[in-house]
Amino acid sequence: MKNRIKVYRAMHDLTQEGLANELGVTRQTILAIEKGKYDPSLELAFKIARFFGVTIEEIFIYDSVPGLKPPE
Amino acid sequence: MKRNTFYLLAGVVALIEVGIFWLSVEIERPILIQVAFVLGVLLIYLARRKVEETIEDERTAVITQKAALRTLEVFWVVFFAVSLGSAVVAFSRPLGLRPHPPGPHEMIPPDALDLPVFGGFAIFQMALLCLMIFLYVGFRMYYARKYGEWDTDEEQD
Repeated sequence: MKNRIKVYRAMHDLTQEGLANELGVTRQTILAIEKGKYDPSLELAFKIARFFGVTIEEIFIYDSVPGLKPPE
Repeated sequence: MKRNTFYLLAGVVALIEVGIFWLSVEIERPILIQVAFVLGVLLIYLARRKVEETIEDERTAVITQKAALRTLEVFWVVFFAVSLGSAVVAFSRPLGLRPHPPGPHEMIPPDALDLPVFGGFAIFQMALLCLMIFLYVGFRMYYARKYGEWDTDEEQD
């Protein structure tokens, strides 16, 4: 799963440490999410989205399986 | 409490536990190290709750859960195999639980397990426990690496 946390952090002039403190997680967790090594829980994903005032879909991009079409 | 203070406290507690272990051996009082160990663990758990900085979150919880599950998966097979071997040794010789053979009551069957065998079993149990700890630490390091515990980037000092 890809994400645009780094972009939104830059827009809000926030460091990883600052965002981590706001969300109550460690800086390593923010770094791991940004690098795509850890997929956050739904709760944390909502927290991140609400913190930046956007929807989850604007921050997290799900890499769908090739050939699998989304429901219409 | 600062995070580094907590780690320092944990180290001091571990050193004290080692000291109490040897004291317990010297004065031949096993209850001393047993009580000290439980108190030490309780102290560390209480101290961890007083740490102001976030040292645990959902990612560290996932790492802990996965490492614990893998350790259990490997360890139960090893432990069961060892226990099967021990059971074969135990049941193949009288343990003193069977009726005594005819003769004086003080007479122990010559092929019964001696007390030092049980002492050896205690040490063997400790070795198994150490194996479990090593397995856990190994799996923990593997999953910590997988979930970016030691990754660095441009913001790193």
